[in-house]
Amino acid sequence: MKVVVLACGNAVPDSEDFQAHLKQGGMQAQVIAQPCSSKVETYHLLRILASGVDLVWVIGCAENACRLTEGSSRMGKRVQHAQEYLSEIGLENERIGMSRLVPGDAAALSAILADIQTRARALRPSPLAR
Amino acid sequence: MIVGTRKSLEEIQAMLRGHSRILLAGCDTCVAECASGGRRETAELTAALDMAFRLAGQSVELKETCVDRQCIHEFLIDVVAEAQAVDAVLSLACGAGVQALAARLPKTPVFPALNTTFLGETAERGFWSENCRGCGDCLLGVTGGICPISRCAKRLLNGPCGGATAGKCEINLAFPYDPPVPCAWEQIYERMTNLGLVERLFEVEPAKDWAKAGCSGPRRILRPDQRP
Repeated sequence: MKVVVLACGNAVPDSEDFQAHLKQGGMQAQVIAQPCSSKVETYHLLRILASGVDLVWVIGCAENACRLTEGSSRMGKRVQHAQEYLSEIGLENERIGMSRLVPGDAAALSAILADIQTRARALRPSPLAR
Repeated sequence: MIVGTRKSLEEIQAMLRGHSRILLAGCDTCVAECASGGRRETAELTAALDMAFRLAGQSVELKETCVDRQCIHEFLIDVVAEAQAVDAVLSLACGAGVQALAARLPKTPVFPALNTTFLGETAERGFWSENCRGCGDCLLGVTGGICPISRCAKRLLNGPCGGATAGKCEINLAFPYDPPVPCAWEQIYERMTNLGLVERLFEVEPAKDWAKAGCSGPRRILRPDQRP
């Protein structure tokens, strides 16, 4: 399974380490650091899925912990908007995931890692894989 | 600004049937402000259509571009050049933009991705409301800057109908508008009172000349000083 994670640099300070842990689960994984999860646009999520990736996941800070005040909140709305596109297209909404955590909460980050792996295993391979 | 909303993917795909090389052309003015046809939305729609066509087993090549304002012919030079390599264009502009592009591409079908809906404003972030009908005879000067033609459901010119409840128009009884539609005439009264001009509301506004409002063919404006 191919997974792309777009991770706020504040929520996931070590994106390379997170990527390594994802790969240990047997997935092809790429973690792309973002200055804030609000940098992720709806079209980024759609383009990533169009490239044949099975699952795209956005990790941001808890809404009340976002350094840009509304960033994490806006990210949530964009994820939802992208999922609405998936419904129209006929793809599973579950191909886009989202998590928020308080920066520095290692247990929460581990739980998110597990969530991503669980979701990836539950999905069938993308019908758009090239 | 002109406000529009995107057509469904199903409708768009049906329009584009039979075409295998398509250029999506967005507009970065009004429809970008209402988040339906700007650069971002063009990128969204291109990716979404790419996936939809491939899931339907159709091989379609999609390209995307965007111009600052699609209704200005001089701005379309690059789009027209890019359109030479495709067999159809999907325009995310308002109706005016679609038609300007279509006029420059007589041999290439230009399809609308949006339903152009109204002239309005960004009342709140993510909420656009109609506030101008282009009636051709603006009376905002006598109503404190609140238009009864577009914002009163009955287009009344001389005060409220009496059907409002708690400042909200009676059409809210027929449909659960969220946010509810305010009574335009209560707003006008409050505004004119705040301006110290409420006495002007007692001057009777005569019956409107609807002939200026576009009921008899396309309207046009000719300015000799602006002509070549």
